[in-house]
Amino acid sequence: MISLSDIPARGGSPFTPAMGLFVALLLTAPFWLEPIGLYHYLGIEIAIWILFALGFNLLFGFIGLHSFGHGAYLGVGAYAFGLFQQEVTVSLWGGLAVAILAATLAGAIVGAFVSHRRGIYFALMTIAFGQVFWFGAIKLHSITGGEDGLLGIARPDLVVGPMRLDISDNISLYWFVAVILVLAVVALWRIVNAPFGRVLQAIRQNETRAQFVGYNVWLIKWLTFTLSAAFAGLAGGLFAMAQESAYPDVMSLHQSGLIVMMVLIGGGLVSFWGPVLGVLLYFIARDIIGGITETWLLWFGLMFVIMVMVRPEGVAGLIHVLRQKFAQTQQKTVAPASNPERA
Amino acid sequence: MTLFKAENIQKRFGARVVLEDISLSVEEGTVHGIMGPNGAGKTTCFHVLTGYHAPDGGRIVFDGRDITGRKPHQIARMGISRSFQIMNLFDETVVIENVLLALPEFRAHGFNLTRSVFDDKALVDKALGVLDQVGLADLAWQKADALSYGNRRALEIAVALAAEPRIVFLDEPTSGLGVEATRQLMGLIRKLRKTYTIVLIEHDMNFLFELADRISVIHWGQVIAEDTPAALKANKWVARSALGEVA
Amino acid sequence: MMELVPHIINGLTLGLLFALIALGFTLIVGVMEVINLAHGSLFALGAYFALATLGGGWFGSTEFGVWWLSLPIGMRYVFALVVGPLLAAGAGMIIELCLRPTYGKAPLYGLLLTFGAALVVEELIRLIWGTGEQSLTVPQAINGAFLMGGLIFSKYKFFAAGFALLAIGGVWFFLERTPYGAIIKAGSHDSEMVRALGYDLSKLRLLVFGFGASLAGLAGIILTPIWGLRPHVGLDVVIPAFLIIVIGGVGSFWGAVLAAVLVGLSVGITGAYAPAWSMMSMYLLLIAIVGVRSRGLLGRKSALEN
Repeated sequence: MISLSDIPARGGSPFTPAMGLFVALLLTAPFWLEPIGLYHYLGIEIAIWILFALGFNLLFGFIGLHSFGHGAYLGVGAYAFGLFQQEVTVSLWGGLAVAILAATLAGAIVGAFVSHRRGIYFALMTIAFGQVFWFGAIKLHSITGGEDGLLGIARPDLVVGPMRLDISDNISLYWFVAVILVLAVVALWRIVNAPFGRVLQAIRQNETRAQFVGYNVWLIKWLTFTLSAAFAGLAGGLFAMAQESAYPDVMSLHQSGLIVMMVLIGGGLVSFWGPVLGVLLYFIARDIIGGITETWLLWFGLMFVIMVMVRPEGVAGLIHVLRQKFAQTQQKTVAPASNPERA
Repeated sequence: MTLFKAENIQKRFGARVVLEDISLSVEEGTVHGIMGPNGAGKTTCFHVLTGYHAPDGGRIVFDGRDITGRKPHQIARMGISRSFQIMNLFDETVVIENVLLALPEFRAHGFNLTRSVFDDKALVDKALGVLDQVGLADLAWQKADALSYGNRRALEIAVALAAEPRIVFLDEPTSGLGVEATRQLMGLIRKLRKTYTIVLIEHDMNFLFELADRISVIHWGQVIAEDTPAALKANKWVARSALGEVA
Repeated sequence: MMELVPHIINGLTLGLLFALIALGFTLIVGVMEVINLAHGSLFALGAYFALATLGGGWFGSTEFGVWWLSLPIGMRYVFALVVGPLLAAGAGMIIELCLRPTYGKAPLYGLLLTFGAALVVEELIRLIWGTGEQSLTVPQAINGAFLMGGLIFSKYKFFAAGFALLAIGGVWFFLERTPYGAIIKAGSHDSEMVRALGYDLSKLRLLVFGFGASLAGLAGIILTPIWGLRPHVGLDVVIPAFLIIVIGGVGSFWGAVLAAVLVGLSVGITGAYAPAWSMMSMYLLLIAIVGVRSRGLLGRKSALEN
């Protein structure tokens, strides 16, 4: 079975072919989205969910803590962003900072409760805590606007030094989100390939051993939980801008389950890029199968069930296997004696 | 000098008393053996001494410091390392990374995000050096779960050594090894004893008698005798009650 | 103090209803170590099957359908109480068959598979019965209200609570006092022993999952007359079940019952003073209890933690 740790960590530079392809697709999207029959808002939505999914995979794939309530932190970020615009001041950076802070705080508190739990028990606790946030959002009507949520959240101007840019239309907002996403992806790439990221994976593989070589496993789990909530908060702040609203639905068990589903289908358990593939697949299914039949979720769900049964490594796992097969046949024909070992 | 000392250690699980009264003291630079029949509490004893379980009574002192009730990671950082009877490795990754993760320098760089694991030549060389000690340097880039059983045992020891301990606890290192592999392991421990203080749980009496300076015999959660191998052999009572069942 | 009595009664009945929802869930978690996220969907499915049985939707306007509808509703209701859970059990068994490749792997996969199954079942319900709100009619005898001590109580709630009590007792009796129960409990701790005794472990799992699913379906039939029937009703009601399992301790039968009653009481009593917060109280209860006892009230160390 292949896993995230198969490939020894790469060198310091994040400029790999996969990263190049990712950035290229991201930066050219505004030019081909409409010609192929899609729309710019979809680009924003996908970019935000990729950000959310990659941050989530730090927790889910890398350290192996299977949270089923992560939508809560996205929601907390979205509400924090909206409340900041409406109650304090209209500011892009302020709003995003508050979104990250609020989600980090929420993650830190819940993380303290759940970080010593393992396996299914951990999942169950995260579900329960996710529900606490979801229910709180619905019931604290005077703050959160209840079931309808916060409406009319502004898309504040982008202020960089003396520059002031209006990013309220979808294309400019896309550019902004894309730039944030690239920065976040480079940061995450560095995290998982740095010693810290390898320690996360060591903990997933063998918690006891990690303890006995001197790692404070509880602390690292808690930090990862909190960090991953912070990324969710950032995604949530951007989501509130994109939707111009924040509502409880994103915190529901359903949404939290969907993000797990996307990460798994894409192959988040075996590849850094798995969550990206998963998010793309989900939105393609939603918009393309969804255009053909109302019951697209039925087919997507069925596909998912079959995938869990036969190929839980997801799309990235499939690609990995295909590439290995390809490399093997090539090796046979070209250089039978070449050394497969890494230098 | 006494490096490691346990005084009147007790451990219960529910109503079951597993360790009733364990005391032992390990001199620096020696090999201290622990033996006793199955179920005598040897592994539990290791678990308590290395912080996996907190003792219900008694005191553990390492290098003059009271470490009773400290967490495993704290104990590990002080210079106490251990191997496991049931193997505990990072199976999904390569052999060298198992060792790298345990190096104190690596741990110190844990939050440095500017470097990658395999970038640091000095660290990689150091890890290769540790692997060389146990004879695994050639297999450094293999996946850990692809190693043979004997090599996995050796890696288990390498990971314990990588942490740069002052004392190493080895839990039945010969378990499951053949005659030849056992002989190799004996050579390895002879080599290691020059650098480290070693505490060794062992089933194989010849192995233990060959290597240990002193041996504690544990039975029913108590130390029933502690002496040099030669004296223990001479002690008919010990020989009959404990050795007789296993040797 | 007296004015609190109706709220306590309300809370107790609610607690029993929660326990009824959690029953099948805790059985499957405890024995199979699978968190069945499709529990809510099976709950809904049971109710929809009962709806179709009551209304004769299966047979349309054939001769048999017409004859069926002419039967007294009480009779049809009792029949639906049997058919609904049986069909839900069938659906549950299909899910168990799909689960088989995930046994022996990380518990995550069981969770994911049942989440996917929940989506599929919910979409199927939309496809077959539509997205609208439906209602399950119940016989006149258990419908309506009655007066007690000057207060109005709903007859159906009492019927439902009584039924829940019966179901709890029944499941307890089955697990503790019959040889089948002993085998199921053995299977949860020691699959080797079950095999050594000559029982087929995979058949046992199939039956346990089916039994858990039928309990979910039964809860659906009993509860939807109170809470309404929508395709996503499962998700709404399964959440209390999660909380109850966590509060009570995973895999503990009496832990679940105790937690359910506690949750019901806290919801009922909070409802008396701050109705807007009544449901929130169950979440606060969760945080309070888990903060003090992280394994829940009666939870033991479980294999699920590894």
